[in-house]
This record gives sequence, C-alpha cells and structure tokens, in this order.
Amino acid sequence: MLKYIIKRLALALVILLGVSMIIYFLIRLMPVDFIQDKINAMNQGGATVSQETVDAMYEMYGLKDDSFMGILKGYFSWLSSLLHFDLGTSFVYARPVSEVIFEHMGISFAIALIATIFEFLIAIPLGITAATHQYSLRDYVVTVLVMIGISLPSFFFGQVLKSFFSEFLGFPTSGMVDATQSYTGAALLVDYARHMFVPILTIVILSIGARMRMTRTNMLEVLNSDYIRTARAKGLSERVVINKHAFRNTLIPLVTSLAGLLPSLFSGAIITEQVFDLPGIGNIALDAMNRGDIPFIMGYNMFLAVLSVLGILLADIMYAVVDPRVKLE
Amino acid sequence: MVENENKNVEPEQTPLDKNIKLMSPTQMVIRRFFKSKLSIVGLIMIVSLFLFCFAGPYIYTEWIDDGKVILDESGKVEYAFSETTYTVNGVEYTLRQTTEKELKDNFLSAPDSEHIIGTDEEGYDVLSSLMLGGRISLLVSFLAVFVITILGIIFGGISGYFGGVIDTVIMRVCDVLICLPGIPILLIVSTLLDASELNANYRIYILMAFLAMISWPGTARLVRGQILSLREQEFMVAAEAMGYSTFRKIFKHLMPNVMPQLIVQMSLSLGSMILYEATLSYLNLGVKGDVDAWGSMINIISTNQDVLQNHLYVWVPAGICIVIAVLGFNFVGDGLRDALDPKARR
Repeated sequence: MLKYIIKRLALALVILLGVSMIIYFLIRLMPVDFIQDKINAMNQGGATVSQETVDAMYEMYGLKDDSFMGILKGYFSWLSSLLHFDLGTSFVYARPVSEVIFEHMGISFAIALIATIFEFLIAIPLGITAATHQYSLRDYVVTVLVMIGISLPSFFFGQVLKSFFSEFLGFPTSGMVDATQSYTGAALLVDYARHMFVPILTIVILSIGARMRMTRTNMLEVLNSDYIRTARAKGLSERVVINKHAFRNTLIPLVTSLAGLLPSLFSGAIITEQVFDLPGIGNIALDAMNRGDIPFIMGYNMFLAVLSVLGILLADIMYAVVDPRVKLE
Repeated sequence: MVENENKNVEPEQTPLDKNIKLMSPTQMVIRRFFKSKLSIVGLIMIVSLFLFCFAGPYIYTEWIDDGKVILDESGKVEYAFSETTYTVNGVEYTLRQTTEKELKDNFLSAPDSEHIIGTDEEGYDVLSSLMLGGRISLLVSFLAVFVITILGIIFGGISGYFGGVIDTVIMRVCDVLICLPGIPILLIVSTLLDASELNANYRIYILMAFLAMISWPGTARLVRGQILSLREQEFMVAAEAMGYSTFRKIFKHLMPNVMPQLIVQMSLSLGSMILYEATLSYLNLGVKGDVDAWGSMINIISTNQDVLQNHLYVWVPAGICIVIAVLGFNFVGDGLRDALDPKARR
C-alpha cells in the first residue's frame, strides 16, 4: 500500500511537470500584457514614461525576453522558485500568489462543501427509491427531473434563480454580505446564509443528477445479486434488505467518488461565482485572466492541476480501503 | 397456387418456427431503444431542434438574408413630454415641450406579429438569431465530438492493442491532459485567438477543436479498456490463426465490439459539448462573428440589468434551446446505453 502510494506520488510529480509546461507556454504566448496596460494607465495619468522605465518594468516582471529560449528560461526560473515554495507575486494584487489563493479558497470551499453535503443527502435517497421502484412512475419522475438538472447551463439557471428569488422572495443576490449593514454575531451568520442560499441551491440542483444516477445504477446492480435473493428468502423485511444489505454495498462507489471529490471542493466554481458575484477563487481567477496577471494564472492553474491529481489518487486509494477485494498494485 | 405458397415458405420451417420471430442483435437493440419512452422523447427533441435550426430559416425568412440576421431598422419615434413652470414678474408661465426622439433600430421590441419572439438589444430578430445560432452550437458540438472520438479511437486503439512502451507513453499523456483545467485553459487560448488575425466566424470552431484535443483521453481510456479485454478472447485468437493483418484485426474485429460503448459515450458527450460551447459563448470567448450562438445571446444579461429583468424574451428562449438540446442528447444516450446493455432484462 505504502509502496503504491509513493509510486503514484512520483508519477503525479511527472504529470504536474507536464501540465505546468503546457500551461506556462500557453500563458506566455498570451497577448494580454499587464505591463502595457500599466504603462498606458501611467501615460493617461499625465506622466511620461521613458523607454528605460518600460524596459526596467519588463525586466522586473521577468517578461523581457519573448523568444522561445526566453520563455524556457522564464519557465525554469518559475520552477526553481516553486521548489522554494514560492509561486511568485501577483501583478494585480502585488502580494504572493499563494496568499491570494489561500485567502479566497476558503469561501469557495465553504460553498462547495455545503452544496456537496446537501447533494449527497438528497441524491442518495432519490437514487435508492428510483432503483427499488425501477420503471415505475416514481422512477421516471425522479430520473426526468434530475436529468433536467444535469442539462441546465449553470450561467442560465443561476440567473433565472437569482431573478426569481430576488424579485419574489426578496433574497439578496450578489456578494457575501450586505455592505450597507454592519452585522455581528448571529445576525451576520443569518446574513451569510441569506446570501449563500441561492448560489448553493443552484450548485445542488445542477450536480444532484450525476450522484443520483450513480446511486441508482449501483443499487440496481446490487439488487440483482444473489445475496439479496438469499436475504429475501430468509424472510427479512424489505426495509432491512434495502437499508442493511443492499445499501451498504452501494456505498463503495459513493465513498470513492466522495474522496475523489474532496480536493476539487477548493477549486471554486468560476461561472457560479461570476453570476452571483462572490469573491471566491474562481471569480478572482477569471478577473486575473482578463488582466494578464501571469503569476496568478500560473499559480491558480497549477493549484487546480494539483487538486485533480490528488482527487484521482484519493479515489483510487479509497477504493481499496472500502472494498477489501480490491488490491492495489 | 400450391407452388406459389411453397416458394414463400422456407424449406426447413416447421409450424413452430412461425411463432418465433428471429431478430438480429441490431434489431433487438432498436426494439429496446424504442420501447423506452424517454429515448423517444429525446429523439423527438433532437429532431425537432435540428428541423428548427436547419429548415426553420427557409420558412421564417423575413429577417434572414444570406445566412445572417438582418437588423430591423424600422425604428420608432418616441415622444417625450416635459412641463416646466417659470415665474416671471409674479406671472406664472408654463412651458410645455415635446421632444421627438427617433430611434434608428427597432430594439427590444416585445413579441408581436412582426417579430414572433421580439428583438434583442441591438434590433435583431430573436427567433432568427435562435435558428442561425443553433446551427453554430450544434455543428460545433458535433465537430468536437467527432474529433474526440477519432482521436480516442486512434490513441486508445494503439495503446490497447500494442501495449508496452507505447501504451505507457500514451497513458501518461492522457494523465497530463486530464489534469489540465478546462475553462481556464480555454480562456487562455481564446486570448491567443484574439491576437491572431483570424476570421471571427471561425473562432469558436478552433476553440472547440482545441477543447477536443484536450478531452480525448476519456474516450481513449474507454477504447483501450475494451480492447484489452477483447484481445484475450477466442475470436481474436482465431483472427490471429487466420493470419489477418493488424489493420484488419483492429478495424474489422476489435472496433465493431467497441462501437456500442462508443456510441453511448458520443451521444452523452454531445450534450456536455453543447453546454461547454454555451459556457464559452457566455464568457464572451466564443462566436464573435455575424451570428450569435445560443450562449452569446444569454451573455447580454451579465452586463445589462434592464434586459435581465424586463426583457425575458431576449435571453430565456436561448436558454430553453440549450436545455432541450442537452436533455435530448442525454435521453438518447441513456436510452442507447440501456438498449445496448446485453444484460438488460427489458
């Protein structure tokens, strides 16, 4: 097991190296030039910027040489500072990238975590009823509803919910807190909850389908197995058969997928955060991308890549942990 | 007379056989597919959407010219009335003013006989935009799925059939591509496209082709897994014994067995590609040419609060079209999966 994990971690490093190379080269080819914007702003401010200052600024941000070798050099200097746990300094925020990421990661994580808890709480019972009543009206209704959920574009559905809830129920629709009030204690918590309700509802409805269908498929498979027939033959009540015998085996893929999901909770939902104007990591990254903040984009993308590598690894390990029949090699 | 009857009945047929309808596997799949109500609903949704997008512009021609939506310049004249009261030397005067304001384009016109759904914020007919935009959304998604499938078959096939070093290399490339974050990468690529002097109409095609180039690993893994298990089966040993060429073994003996899973995968990923395309267009990365894709038609609400709240007919129809398309492909994909499953009981 330990040997397997070490082997996988080594492999993960190779993967991340490949990912970082692709992302770095793409970013350096990007035409959005942060420094050019900055110089334009300075020019508009009335200051005359000499060519030396411009050169010095390019030098300072490490963007002077745009040839292939220059980009390669830039990549290696990025890589070597990464080895010192330094992701560089964000152009826009003028602070270390890791600091900005960690600051905004919390909000995204809180939203995603709450949404995931509700997603599992709703999707699992739905999946089980759909499976135990296969091909019944109940199965059809649940299946069609969650399929509609999967098929909704997040930006469209988010806006629809946002308009609906703000117009008819008076929910606040953007940001985290009411800026005009200064709540403390319980009132602040209520204000948070009121702001977070619609975004979380959006995420839950959009993601419930995949989980429910997964539960249903697995439940159906388990219900067709021999030991369920034995349990029924023993005369156990249907409730015991479903809840104690069948459901426990359905848990294997659910727990595995939950483990795989955990790291991605930190990654932020770009679209949802943009629609609801939340200061989560996704929204910040979208802004950074539009402004050509190279160190931040690089750091954020690598952050995402690390999260997905971790997710895959965790899911594989969890798979062996919950199912003793599986042996990792 | 008797002879005629004998011709129609096959010689070995016994009375018992007449009651048994022989069906090929394909027939059985088709029968199972059409037995499910959801797959029929999905099929109807897709077919009607295609008719709407590809045949519709030939019926509703009023605002379409040469594959583009015509700007409605009929405009309207608006009158603004104002009243000001002055007091000069103790006498009150009232100044009544009428300002004539001519609007050149007939924008944000509510649904009426001239514009069935209305016009958008610039004065383009929404229904026509929906039809022409749908063409782009659907075509682009098909293109992406086509590229993904081709790349997946090639790399997955090679990887599964030859194994060894080739397999390892291809699988590591897959690992890297799977870990690339989709939307952020496409954001970067789209700014690259902005810089190049490319025809704006082809932008979305290139963007989606790029998306396809980083999303084939899923399909490749599916194909590889199938081939790995099929490779060990007796019919492949037989093919080996017959001395068939590698090409023939892969494409005539292995691929047909991978096809069922591939078809399911394709129809499901069509739905997700439509969603992807819509999201890209919504983020204003997609079509920047003459015609708006569905996602771009919704984009307006992120900047224009008035349209968002008071002119639902501008953006809601596009959203509904996206949902119908994605839902249709999901229903069909699901129905196909059940129909192609040999263990299915129904």
